[in-house]
Amino acid sequence: MEDSLIQASINAFKLLFSGDRELWEIIGISFLVSFRAILFITPFAVIVAFALAYGNFPGRRVLITIVNSMVALPAVVVGLLLYIMLYNAGPFGGWRLLFTQTAMIIGQMILAFPILVAMVHVSLRSIDLVAWETARTLGANTARAMFTIIREVRFGLIAAIVTGFGRVVSEVGCSIMVGGNILHHTRNIPTAIALETSKGDFEQGIALGAVLIFLALLLNFTVSAFRGRDRASY
Amino acid sequence: MNSSQTLIEIRGVKFHNGDRTILDIDHFAIEQGKFILLRGKNGAGKSTLLKVIAGLLVPDVGQVSIKGVTVPLRQAGRDLRRQTVYLHQSPYLFDRSVFENVAYGLRIAGTSRTETQMAVTDALQWAGLSHLVDRNARELSGGEKQRVALTRARILKPQALLLDEPTANMDRSARDQTYELIDKLRKEGIAVYIASHELENLANCDRVIEIDKGRISRIDAGVQ
Repeated sequence: MEDSLIQASINAFKLLFSGDRELWEIIGISFLVSFRAILFITPFAVIVAFALAYGNFPGRRVLITIVNSMVALPAVVVGLLLYIMLYNAGPFGGWRLLFTQTAMIIGQMILAFPILVAMVHVSLRSIDLVAWETARTLGANTARAMFTIIREVRFGLIAAIVTGFGRVVSEVGCSIMVGGNILHHTRNIPTAIALETSKGDFEQGIALGAVLIFLALLLNFTVSAFRGRDRASY
Repeated sequence: MNSSQTLIEIRGVKFHNGDRTILDIDHFAIEQGKFILLRGKNGAGKSTLLKVIAGLLVPDVGQVSIKGVTVPLRQAGRDLRRQTVYLHQSPYLFDRSVFENVAYGLRIAGTSRTETQMAVTDALQWAGLSHLVDRNARELSGGEKQRVALTRARILKPQALLLDEPTANMDRSARDQTYELIDKLRKEGIAVYIASHELENLANCDRVIEIDKGRISRIDAGVQ
């Protein structure tokens, strides 16, 4: 067993570096879906984080608590709820989104949203209302003041984006439920690992796992670097 | 009060936080070129009053007249911000160079690159801060930050500067340098309204206004 695992690992890296088309297509789908999810949800999450940080409206504290609680939202639950919404007889069944990359993107947007809001909110609170008022008193309108503050918390924002991306690119529960793990269409790294492992084919699973581990390390180093910059700038 | 010198007048301003009255001002005016000291205990409402006048806080009710035109305060934020600049006790300087900080308001106003360059260079020279031009503003001392913030405000040519405890937590030398700059601003005809505990500010001020529990409790002539 040990020998076969070592052999499988060697084969996995050969597969990875040989430019295997199917393997790299899976990696491509994975990155494209997660990248789009983060790209689409980040502006909305930033606006919500601003409202929670600087807004003065009833229920703000409750909303902050809800967002913070949703950070640990199980991917499979999001997948289940989205499946119920999108399957043929569901309220949005007519849109025919189930088992498409769009459905995966929506699911990953829902998963990333609370992480982005919570982390950006913390960054915004760290510079207090004084920064906002300073921009406003110097003539910035609401949009310009927002951009100024985003620039001030840019390292925190990048750390939030990187963390959010790390969370969605490695989730399996939602992608497999609403994406369906269809080869060339919706098979991404986590769903492919789950499938190949269940078939006893470890080579592709290990190769894809190595990509995810490398990505996790890269993202963690990036987040650490930005957190360091963020602290250094205060 | 000479009405021709009045820049901003607020009337019937009430500001509550739950059941607590933060501000209850019948009448308050910003007069051209005046140096006014607002005094009162912590939480008396000095900063809130200055922020309302600066258009940074919207009270529950109240009206404002700006150069004779009266509108509800709720609608006047933008106009108030055009007339005034508010400086916090610990001024916030953006994570950029001193040049970029001083240029911030001009860039927002759409001033050309060349004009901005000239104006910032002049302003830093005026404040004696030219040597800091390329330094990151976050690396400055408390006194230097306050002087950069004053320069950043002055470059926008406001009618009134609203300063909240501008020399709090500063050593003697930094305090003197800051007041030197404030004095230069006054001589340029800018109205300066300071919320402060320090008695030494009494020197040369036109009036001392005591704020207590959100109300104006006393107005004294300043020491000339």
